[in-house]
Amino acid sequence: MLDILHPKISNINKNNIDINLSEEIIKINIRGKNKEFFTKIGKILSIILPSEPNTSSSNESYDVLWLSPDEWMIYFEENKNTNIFDQLYKDISSINLGSITDISSQLICINIKGENIFELLSSGSPFNFEKFKNNVGSSTQTLVNHIDVILHHKSKNNVNLFVRRSFSEHLYEWLVDSSNFI
Amino acid sequence: MFLINCPFCGERDQSEFSSGGEAHIVRPKQPTELSDDEWAEYLFMRKNIKGIQFERWNHVHGCRKWFNVVRDTSNDKILSVYKMGEKPPVNYK
Repeated sequence: MLDILHPKISNINKNNIDINLSEEIIKINIRGKNKEFFTKIGKILSIILPSEPNTSSSNESYDVLWLSPDEWMIYFEENKNTNIFDQLYKDISSINLGSITDISSQLICINIKGENIFELLSSGSPFNFEKFKNNVGSSTQTLVNHIDVILHHKSKNNVNLFVRRSFSEHLYEWLVDSSNFI
Repeated sequence: MFLINCPFCGERDQSEFSSGGEAHIVRPKQPTELSDDEWAEYLFMRKNIKGIQFERWNHVHGCRKWFNVVRDTSNDKILSVYKMGEKPPVNYK
């Protein structure tokens, strides 16, 4: 039976493509619209939320991905700042300035590295990776092997893929299998 | 298969979207005053035009935003895309 909490994802290298499970990563979904919301987020995270579609912004602590005009996802390593969720929740969610949701348990981060990663992803996705692969920092939400994913082009030929935990093992197996044919 | 230019994310494949049916159907202000036939007309009856149709679409596997599309159903050509709340383009009326 599928163990959703502990999917069988091991680090693997095939055809010069590295597929690794990135844990523990904290993921926080933030939603808001008004000016005060943007000011508060900027002060707490020391980062400006990306307003341009399919982009991201980063500093040494956090990566923030654009998800929609009023929705972003922040992710960072668990040991970096453990109380940031509480701070965001207190200053934004609790006073109805926006919405802060911890989605760390919902999504799993799979890191894919290598020269052929975009060929691998393209083989199972309707998304056109031409612009995405030439722009480090790009982010997108699309389908890979019919599964919803969030992709972040972290550095050259290095992509963080976020997928729902229950789909992660199936997607991982597809990635490993498909990398044989790239 | 065709491409849809999401007003938020840009051009994406149709498989990322979900159709929400006919656009610009206004909910009656006083539903309790309608007859059963009038309520059924609002709730169930939709046009099925061969030609230019105004539709709602949702970028369900992307930004999850709703928007409007003017589509020629005879050839699946997308003629215009505009956000919710914006007025439909007059040249297709």
